[in-house]
Amino acid sequence: MAQPRAAIWAAEADDMDDDLQDMSLGNYGQNGHYDDTLFQQPQIDEATLMAMQQHMAQQAAFAQIPDVVKGFIVHFHQAVLDNNLPEITVAYESGWNKYTEKFYARTEWPEAEIIAPLVNDDPIFLILYRELYYRHVYSRLQPNVDDRFHSYENSCELFNYLLNSEGPVQLELPEQWLWDIIDEFIYQFQVFCTWRSKPKSKTEDELGMLGEGGPVWSSYSVLNVLYSLIQKSKINEYITAHQAGKTPEEIAEIVGEYGARPLYRHLGYFSIIGLLRVHVLLGDFTLALKVMENVELNQKSPYTRVTACTVATYYYVGFCYIMLRRYPDAIRTFVSILNWIMRMRQYHTRSYQYDQISKTADRMYALFAICNALSPSRLDDNIANISKERYGEQFAKMARGQEDAIPAFKELFLYACPKFINANAPPYDDPNALNAMLAPPSPDPASPEFGESLTDPAQRHLSLLLSDVIAHTPVPTLRSFLKLYTSLGAKKLANFLDADEEEMVQQLMVMKQASRSVTHVSGGKGLLDGQTASTSDLNFVIDENMVHIAESTVGRRYAGWFIKNTERTQKLYDDLKSQPLPPAPKGGTVSSAPAAAAFTEAKPVRSGPPKVAWGGVKAA
Amino acid sequence: MATSWVAPPTRTELIEDLVSGVDRYNPSNVGILEDYLYHQIRSQEYDCLANLAVLKLYQFNPDLYNPDVVINILIKALTASPLPDFNLCISLLDERPINSNLDEPDPLPSLLPTLKHLSDLLYRCRFPAFWEIYQSDELEGLRDNYTVECAGFEDAVREVAIRAVKATFTRISADRLASYLDLSGSELAAFVEKKGWKMEANVIEIPPNPDNQIEATVVQENIKLAQLTKVIAHGASM
Repeated sequence: MAQPRAAIWAAEADDMDDDLQDMSLGNYGQNGHYDDTLFQQPQIDEATLMAMQQHMAQQAAFAQIPDVVKGFIVHFHQAVLDNNLPEITVAYESGWNKYTEKFYARTEWPEAEIIAPLVNDDPIFLILYRELYYRHVYSRLQPNVDDRFHSYENSCELFNYLLNSEGPVQLELPEQWLWDIIDEFIYQFQVFCTWRSKPKSKTEDELGMLGEGGPVWSSYSVLNVLYSLIQKSKINEYITAHQAGKTPEEIAEIVGEYGARPLYRHLGYFSIIGLLRVHVLLGDFTLALKVMENVELNQKSPYTRVTACTVATYYYVGFCYIMLRRYPDAIRTFVSILNWIMRMRQYHTRSYQYDQISKTADRMYALFAICNALSPSRLDDNIANISKERYGEQFAKMARGQEDAIPAFKELFLYACPKFINANAPPYDDPNALNAMLAPPSPDPASPEFGESLTDPAQRHLSLLLSDVIAHTPVPTLRSFLKLYTSLGAKKLANFLDADEEEMVQQLMVMKQASRSVTHVSGGKGLLDGQTASTSDLNFVIDENMVHIAESTVGRRYAGWFIKNTERTQKLYDDLKSQPLPPAPKGGTVSSAPAAAAFTEAKPVRSGPPKVAWGGVKAA
Repeated sequence: MATSWVAPPTRTELIEDLVSGVDRYNPSNVGILEDYLYHQIRSQEYDCLANLAVLKLYQFNPDLYNPDVVINILIKALTASPLPDFNLCISLLDERPINSNLDEPDPLPSLLPTLKHLSDLLYRCRFPAFWEIYQSDELEGLRDNYTVECAGFEDAVREVAIRAVKATFTRISADRLASYLDLSGSELAAFVEKKGWKMEANVIEIPPNPDNQIEATVVQENIKLAQLTKVIAHGASM
């Protein structure tokens, strides 16, 4: 009954990783470049154009819009009206970026009201246009307070249209855009919260708007949108039915009129990932994993087509595992996505999202280094080596566990952690409270980080990680001593370490604790579930005052080597066999050993006992 | 996290709906969850996710904030060590405006460093130090106002120590165990007997369990049939 725990570090191939290999590729920006010639003759009749031009004649702003951009907007609008996904994709992924580079690299796109006549004041297209307009402002320019409030209003209009129209709307948009809508919504929420949390640098106007802002960008309103999309699309029911192997008809029945439409299904799925992210930003790591309970990362998911979504999913899941002190699970999560990113890299270098993806990957290498220092693992040498290449200096400090480990952990954590936010605004609606906050009555002079920790939630989460780091500090040294012995008196070990014996015994208990971790088991339900497993190759036990040590090693992998080489040889042999025989040498010398002749490149072979080493082939 | 952590068997259906559904965000449900916390405190039950749901409501609705509830949640989470429950609770405690509209001064800011320190000591297995500080005069307020109400708090701390001892020791001296458990003489003997452990000549034998059995192993590769399909298929086609 007293079986040693299964050691996860010795686990064989990882199923998560295997499944990821089969996932489909993203195909951003590979559908060719946006082509100007498409718009040489915009498809609007002359009369409309005339009327429009007249009406807008006084609008200098309109006149300033380059004709190609006007053509682009008209064409884009038409593609949306036709629900023509390929055309929308080209306009969205290629055209928009192309004209941004060309005309709007440092200024806003024309406001929606100005371009409205081009699209017959189509309210839906204008909402979508504003979505792109504000995204451009946020990513390229500095949003002002009006932009922040209006982008929120525009998002609300969009979600209202989707959720509160009569029945499902007929709109169709590419998956990538749908992901970007959710992603941007949360990004703007996060940026707003960070901006809001700094009352010091606000103008009177901004303070006034924040005081009356009410529910603008409140946590409740953001969660409400995400939960509504999840419920409307019945995405959880869809995933469960899909996993249960139900037929398409049964699934259609289950998910209803909304869930049957790709637009809602995609938005529903992306909203789950969005929730994961929002909960992490708010510091609720268990709830973050709980909302993912139907999404199995080791399933072949159709959503891996949207690479940015897959990368974000693994990043946030891995981070949650770190905060749950489940380092082996975090490592497993990062390893599988980092390998995947590496394999995909060749297809992504031209994608406009490549930068973002490689930045996230870089942060995951940093998080991987943190996990590997706290819970050494041999799961994947390749990823471990890349991580050491990039963060070698920090990793060496962290793994040694001496005093300079703390700054190294701090540096990597603050670099790689999500942009945490406070759920609540400073009391903008109460000027007295706000003043009290701006000028704390008696800031504790003894703690220089007073002001910083008051506003920055990242510091709070960092301190939690560091509490674990500090607890682990003695482990590497103890480990290096224990590795040298099979049994050793506690007193002697304490002498080596120049430590108090009782204190050292307590540290050994910490070390034991650190070598056990809750880990996800295959087939487990949801990401939170798991079982305790051993995470270290070095095991020990204390018999009163004697420490006994046992080490596990991984045997050499002969069989795998032989299988690989057998297959290689077979292929070589087959290739040779299928080669045509060389032409008979001139003079008609009869070769008595065709096989030998093939190998000796048709050198005239004299009859008689073959002298080449290959002669054995004939005999066989 | 074991299944019983994600969903303790003592959790009622009503609570399960609140923990797993969207109703968890409804501020009017905070009373139900607070009552459930006090039920846990009286009946030595524990439900981390339900308690985190209370903290979540406080996070979103600062008006609901009740420092006594937060302190009790943290006290319950202390004894879950080495699971990260205490840290998970701290993660949800946003900084709040200084002048909360409370009738009495907020006891949390002054108690929080103490509780964090106690959590640290338990996580670092410094059990004798934990008892010393916990019993000190400075912590009289915490004991008299909070932990005394939390049924079986000290025994729950002892269970934290027992978990560490069981994983690390095959035999342990009575003196050492006594210092970890803050028990002595007949109390210790009774405790050991209740566990069904044997004590001989002041040494206590810890029954074998998966964590205190060690064995040097060589992990051998495990070839599965699937890996050989190519080789076999080739052989068959010859």
